[in-house]
Amino acid sequence: MSKILVVDDECDICDFVKNFFQERGYEVFTASNGEDAIEVSKREKPGLILLDIKMKGMDGIAALKHLKEIDRKQKIIMVTALADQDKMDEAFRLGACGYITKPLMLDQLENTVERNFGVAI
Amino acid sequence: MSANKKAPSWAKLHEWFVGKAAMRDNDMANRVEPSGPQSIDLPLSSEPAHPQQASYQTFLENASRTMIRFKKPEHLIKMIVKTIDEQLKVTHTAVLLYKEDKKSYILIDSKGSEGLKIPIGFIRLGIDNPLISVFSEKQSYLISETGILRYEDLIVSLRNREILEKQSDLYDKILLIKRQMDLMKASICVPCYFKRDLLGILVLGEKISGEPFSREEMGFFMTLANNAAMAIANAQLIENLHQKVEEIKGLYLKEHRIFIHTAIALAAAIDARDPYTHGHTERVTNYSLAIARELEGLPEIAAYDNFKETLQIAALLHDIGKIGIPDRVLNKHNRLTPEEYEEIKKHSIIGSTILNPIKELRDVSREIRAHQECYDGSGYPDGLKGTSIPLIARIIGVADAFDAITTNRAYRKERSAEDAVQELKRCSGSQFDPVIVSAFLLAYEKGNILTNGKHKNFVDMDEGY
Repeated sequence: MSKILVVDDECDICDFVKNFFQERGYEVFTASNGEDAIEVSKREKPGLILLDIKMKGMDGIAALKHLKEIDRKQKIIMVTALADQDKMDEAFRLGACGYITKPLMLDQLENTVERNFGVAI
Repeated sequence: MSANKKAPSWAKLHEWFVGKAAMRDNDMANRVEPSGPQSIDLPLSSEPAHPQQASYQTFLENASRTMIRFKKPEHLIKMIVKTIDEQLKVTHTAVLLYKEDKKSYILIDSKGSEGLKIPIGFIRLGIDNPLISVFSEKQSYLISETGILRYEDLIVSLRNREILEKQSDLYDKILLIKRQMDLMKASICVPCYFKRDLLGILVLGEKISGEPFSREEMGFFMTLANNAAMAIANAQLIENLHQKVEEIKGLYLKEHRIFIHTAIALAAAIDARDPYTHGHTERVTNYSLAIARELEGLPEIAAYDNFKETLQIAALLHDIGKIGIPDRVLNKHNRLTPEEYEEIKKHSIIGSTILNPIKELRDVSREIRAHQECYDGSGYPDGLKGTSIPLIARIIGVADAFDAITTNRAYRKERSAEDAVQELKRCSGSQFDPVIVSAFLLAYEKGNILTNGKHKNFVDMDEGY
């Protein structure tokens, strides 16, 4: 089963995205901060990580750096509330493979994730 | 009225919301007098049709009465979602509302006892979303006669061989719409129009009981949506109005700043022509303001639309007429001949003539014309006397004289401030209005007449209106 890790410090959002993808046949894990995200990803080796940029403590960019150090091939999609071009550029430079802006469009969320799993679902 | 009162009634919700609103605004005018029966249940369970319809009526009447009291669309929507969620027993309820700044429909509220609960503000639908365009383009063939989009109708259409074989475009469109409804697990979508604009969409999941929505319920949703649209449009209009007012205020302040700074620049240009009067305009303006502070409450001040501003501008521009006086006269080192003196005297008329075409500066123009008049009628150009000389002109007259005495002039040396004060006292009642002179003396004693160094007024004169 394809594994997704959702990282967001708002648990409402984690829950919603988790349900959303569980119903679509994915196994979904959640983490509410960068540290947790690193731990869960080491343990579960998810096929894709949805990573919120703005988080308390270790932010998405820092978490992205660490996750990429652990596994250079890890697929990570950034989720950002603002169209912050500088942050996005930095994320891409660090190896993020896509981004979604909040408030998000459900079809875009579904498409982006499916595309990154190579439509194998 | 049925006896089985299960969920909180509309009246209770109404009370709760109005209570909140009153608390928030601390505004007694918002308080709503209780209207109609205190508890109205929403009998949407499958009961006989006739009594039900009457209750819908009462419910809707109360609903529309309550709705117009909400100042923010968000509060109204929260109430609608809460009511539907509690009364109708559906898996989930959500409302998407158009947001101008984001150019899309944003989820404003969402509730779900069994279905999905979407975090508020978390999702949006672009205006080109198939679910939006089905309503905004009014593709009536997809929407039931009630105006509501039903999932089951889409399924029926997709099973229609005719559409599949002959109308593949339509078939694809329906597929896209179905996908959007799947994403939100929507069973029905109720549009909310104001005039021809789609303001929002009410999204409902299935009934928990699994039953389809009844005709009455659908009619009820449409009426509710129409009433809500009216209330939302109202609230949005008011919000827009507030924004516009703020914008206009901002523009006014900006214009005003430009205006004041233009006056300052003009004043500097006048000063620059005459090395002896360097800084003269600035000082006269400051003295005038200091005198005016001591005159507060004077009945004559009330006759001006904007006394302080008129005073500032008139003081800044009082010598603007010197622009029309030849240099040989203006900068002459020896005593002036009578002819030259006549020439100099023209500056108050010239100044007033320069400003006269500017409608907004009519008052200022009048003051500038009169700033060389004397209290006893011996001044120029019109020989006005006493209080027939406008107040601001009398103030500038005193301020102007004080500065003339305390600074070097082409024809004589400066004298001390104390000398100047004595001179003003001596001429009080003849050259100067005694009321103005005593106001000057008060300001002088308080140390508000500073002959050198900046007064604060001059710098931030464009503020405080």
